[in-house]
Amino acid sequence: MKFNQLVERAIITISNREDEKKGENLEQKYLRRILVSGIISLLLILLIVYTLPYTILSYSSLFEYSTIIAFVIFLFILLVRYFAILVMAYLYLNEYTFSDTNGFAPFVSIIVPVFNEGKIIKNSILSLLKLDYQNYEIIIVNDGSNDDTKQVAESMVGFQNGKSGKIKVSLINQPNLGKARALNAGIYYSKAEFVLCMDGDSQLSPESIKYAVRHFKNPKIGAVAGNVKVLNRKRFFTDLQALEYIEGLNMARSAQSYIKLVNIIPGPIGIFRRKAIEQSGFYSSDTYAEDADLTLKILANGWKIYYEPKSISYTEAPLTLQQLLKQRYRWTRGILQSLRKHKKRMFNPTVNFGHTFVLWYMSYEALIWPTMNLAANAFFIFAALFFGFSHLIFFWWAGLAILDLVTALYCVAVEKEEFRLIWYAIIYRMFFILIIDICKTMSTIEEFLGIRMTWGKLERTSSTKSNTIAVNTN
Amino acid sequence: MELIPILSTIILVATICTFILAIGAYVLYKVRESKPQYAPQVKPSTVKAELVVPSEAAIVKEESSTIHQRTLPVEPGITREEYTKQHQPSQSKFTPEPRGYKAEEEKTEKQKVRVRPQERLSDENKFLKYTSDGYVPTQEDRTSGEVKWR
Repeated sequence: MKFNQLVERAIITISNREDEKKGENLEQKYLRRILVSGIISLLLILLIVYTLPYTILSYSSLFEYSTIIAFVIFLFILLVRYFAILVMAYLYLNEYTFSDTNGFAPFVSIIVPVFNEGKIIKNSILSLLKLDYQNYEIIIVNDGSNDDTKQVAESMVGFQNGKSGKIKVSLINQPNLGKARALNAGIYYSKAEFVLCMDGDSQLSPESIKYAVRHFKNPKIGAVAGNVKVLNRKRFFTDLQALEYIEGLNMARSAQSYIKLVNIIPGPIGIFRRKAIEQSGFYSSDTYAEDADLTLKILANGWKIYYEPKSISYTEAPLTLQQLLKQRYRWTRGILQSLRKHKKRMFNPTVNFGHTFVLWYMSYEALIWPTMNLAANAFFIFAALFFGFSHLIFFWWAGLAILDLVTALYCVAVEKEEFRLIWYAIIYRMFFILIIDICKTMSTIEEFLGIRMTWGKLERTSSTKSNTIAVNTN
Repeated sequence: MELIPILSTIILVATICTFILAIGAYVLYKVRESKPQYAPQVKPSTVKAELVVPSEAAIVKEESSTIHQRTLPVEPGITREEYTKQHQPSQSKFTPEPRGYKAEEEKTEKQKVRVRPQERLSDENKFLKYTSDGYVPTQEDRTSGEVKWR
């Protein structure tokens, strides 16, 4: 590889404007929200207290019956959700298992936003030069890094030797404006009809673009979501996350892709039709989940979104519980912020039914599902501690563990993943998901109360695909 | 003692511990992340950024050097002049001897052969020739002064 080539420098002007609501008093808004919800809760309690003596129920029986009914509803939704996802994912994957590329190979710009990624930017760019695709360029956007990212990135600018010829590598050095604006700067600069947006810490598999762009032959497809896999494995937490990505995220995306309504195009790999991004108003930095926000905007404009399991992006997962909570906190609040931006469409399915459906589905996954899971666990602990029904929690765990094991087995087989990950399914629901759901619930409360937050950056370990995992990507 | 009560107890303890661990970790995370909040700054409508792109000349230069190397691969240990002298293409005995090329004579002769009556060449709309400059009348092409060989 030959770096340090002859380069040209120029000062460019980047638009920094975004649609923002002006004149909104956030403090008053949150205070009003707390007051309204408090008054509604109080009214409901008073209603129960006043009407209960007119029924045959006592307080204890009301508690028991309502708990049982909630529990039955939870079980029903859990099973329906599992089987619906599995069946739809099977139907979608079956459709694409035997299909190959269709010769559609347009020019693609790969946008790589980086902020203090000096340790790993080189590996990311080297993985991009190995792509099995002829027609592409790489645009690195340095978002005001204060480590050696700028120097490392500048050394890579040039016409580098790729797998299929010379690949142009350009760099934009901008002040620190955030990931969304860094991606926008790259998209503005690009002249390509299709752009691949990724994270600076991610590494793409060689077939990523080749398999993703084939879907764009359908003019209704606005974007294609890729398959995100965990790069830094062989650790307890990262292995659990690897299973979560396979079982929880990718399988759900496969199912959503069956109806062409993928709800989140992941940050580590997403390929967009330029026209779809322009219509949607590019990335916005008013939420902490810019990928979810852009996906919802694209869906709102009537575009369809696919998922391509063979377009793989390897990304570094948080190593510690603190980092994991930091990431999930940002995800949860970001998704809630995105949902709030589109709340008007939630109650108006006549404009775009698919968009409304996705909004409700996301609300369920972000709000109702974690709360139900926590409530179910709290119920079993309560029943065991105060009523002596300790065997109930065992059957509850056994049922979920079997369900998770079967699902994990199916997902690992479909994705040709590491078999050893299946055993993590035994503790997946009762340990990992419980922690995640507690974090989600707490984040939801904070978002509801309007507590300010910061982005929070994860620490990186400069892992490469070759020295960490060996996954069959064919 | 039966297995199910033991497992039930283990799972119960594990679930309670996970609850406590998750809430504790969350509180710890919030304590660590708590930073002074600043008022949001006014964002400018545009920002200046530096664009670093590869020079187009670099790739042209590299390509030309690659071609040169392919045509004259100098072996290590000898100079380029020596290599060129050694690798002069030898003339095969079957190759005809080079004849003296007289461009002017040939041109005149060829022009004489290809001259057509004036009235046939005057029909510009009927006969056009496609060149790198687009469609040109055949008359203009013939009188351009260049020697054309079939």
